[in-house]
Amino acid sequence: MIAKLAWKNIWFKPLNTILSVILLTSSVAIITTLVLVEKQFEEKFSSNIDGVDLVMGAQGSPLQLILSSVYQVDSPTGNISYDSAKVWMQHPFVQKAIPLAFGDNYRGYKILGTNPDYLDKYGAKIADGKLFEKNFEVVIGSDIAKKLSLKIGDEFFGSHGDAAEGEVHDHYAYKVVGIAKPTGKVVDNLILCTIPSVWQMHGGHNETENPAHGEEDHVHVEGEEHQEEADMTLDEPGMEITAVLLKFRNKMGIVTWPRIIAQNTKMQVASPAIEVNRLFSLFGIGISALQYLAYGIMLISGISIFIALYNTLKERENEFALMRVNGAKRLQLLKVVMIESLLLCVVGFIFGTILGRVGLSMLSNSAEEDFKMSFNPYEFIWEKEGTLFLLTIFVGFLAAVIPAVKAYNLNISKTLANA
Amino acid sequence: MISTKNITFSYTKDQIFHMPDLYCEAGSTLLITGDSGKGKTTYLHILAGLLKPKTGEIEIDKTDIVSLSEKSTDKFRGKHIGVVFQKSHFIGALTVLENLEMASWLATGKKHSKRAKKLLEQLGIENQASKLPSQLSIGQQQRVSIARALMNEPKVLLADEPTSSLDDKNAEKVIELLTSLSKEYKAALLIVTHDNRIKERFINKITLI
Repeated sequence: MIAKLAWKNIWFKPLNTILSVILLTSSVAIITTLVLVEKQFEEKFSSNIDGVDLVMGAQGSPLQLILSSVYQVDSPTGNISYDSAKVWMQHPFVQKAIPLAFGDNYRGYKILGTNPDYLDKYGAKIADGKLFEKNFEVVIGSDIAKKLSLKIGDEFFGSHGDAAEGEVHDHYAYKVVGIAKPTGKVVDNLILCTIPSVWQMHGGHNETENPAHGEEDHVHVEGEEHQEEADMTLDEPGMEITAVLLKFRNKMGIVTWPRIIAQNTKMQVASPAIEVNRLFSLFGIGISALQYLAYGIMLISGISIFIALYNTLKERENEFALMRVNGAKRLQLLKVVMIESLLLCVVGFIFGTILGRVGLSMLSNSAEEDFKMSFNPYEFIWEKEGTLFLLTIFVGFLAAVIPAVKAYNLNISKTLANA
Repeated sequence: MISTKNITFSYTKDQIFHMPDLYCEAGSTLLITGDSGKGKTTYLHILAGLLKPKTGEIEIDKTDIVSLSEKSTDKFRGKHIGVVFQKSHFIGALTVLENLEMASWLATGKKHSKRAKKLLEQLGIENQASKLPSQLSIGQQQRVSIARALMNEPKVLLADEPTSSLDDKNAEKVIELLTSLSKEYKAALLIVTHDNRIKERFINKITLI
């Protein structure tokens, strides 16, 4: 009955209630979204650098190199000579070196030349079909298979560069031979093929500017006849790749290579761990700023609840005195005020949690389009959201303390005599 | 039934109210009159256990409520004393019926909806049951107050200026309902008033001087 009365009371003044709930909802929504984004973002970023100690690529921004070669979200810093990269890839310190050659895209999804080690690194087993062996055979990530509904045996043409609107390379068609299992990592959104496929698609030598034009030796005819041409192999001399993911046997290499490579070659190596940390600290500023904003809103909502309760207390003194006359205990009046405030907070928290997730799924959709990165709005981080819930309840408690104590100490006789 | 002995009360040290002893049988009515400032409402609050007197005894149904603790007084009041105030106060967020149920629930832990409906019927306002109290006229509100005071079948029914804000017709009706229902529910009815319209109707009178 007390809870029911509290519930009816908060809806008796709907405008006060709605204001408080809106404020609480927005602060909880912002915090929930931030907590989820931060955690899932870090998880995604961290899981992708597992097994990559350093990345070797063309000189330029190390962060750009990491973003482009590990996360596939930026354009590459440039190309490096495969011949000179090979020298370092065969170094005894190196446990595994995965070469990457950026090719084209198919409807915005990157086509990446690499070797099967790349799939292994991400633990992406082949769910259907087989690994790519010959040139122009591709394995597609699970997300692509779903979104573009591609099947084994399907063929498609790539577009040049990383823009979906790029020029279509229609002299060779890619053929889907395998579909990878979902991993939750970047590989889900990649189309993988051999490195020579990338070279051959661009007319042999990467030095040739815009190979789609003016190629004398390329006859633009149906795919059949290409089979007869000699497929390129990894042994082709003078070719270029984009980057190499390196895993070291000897940790010394991780420390010394950045200097050695920078001094002796035209390449650079960058550490994903360091660059990602730098990125997080950049993000961190924005995230904490938003968090402070959200806590500020929560404080305001606490004050709004307090003012609403305090203001109505004057009008409700008679009501409370009357309840006492009817046999209500002091504690029951205290409870009514407390429960009202806590109910507001619980309602605000529930709406906030839902709204935060709606926001996250919208964010996820746009991040999906721009970065091929999705967030899971259904994840619950019990620890952090539990803390947030307790904080919300605490705000409600704090807002209600003074009004509740006033109700508790109400002098019935005086109130009724003055009425 | 209710009886008092040697009640004194003081708000400040220099001013002491000596309340006359009174006695009222179940089902009968006693009028307490007097000019304003003589402590009529104070006396009523003492009788209802809302104020503690300095000295004296109040016996309601063989219980001396002066000696009860605050908590027990609240409980006793809820169960055995019904109060009708000059201006009716209600829980604004609840309907008329819910207000009655709340009165019963606070005192006994049970809603007694049937009794609430029956009382509303006896008072001729059963069709207002699902309205909010603020939607009723003052006369109707006063009747709901009576219904609420009777909800727990009290031994004593206290009425503080129940007619002062009502017109002649409504005042008449309210007094009639109060006396007839207190008889029916076997409650001792004490009316505090300075309203001349009702003074003549009762024989049992105490005047505060």
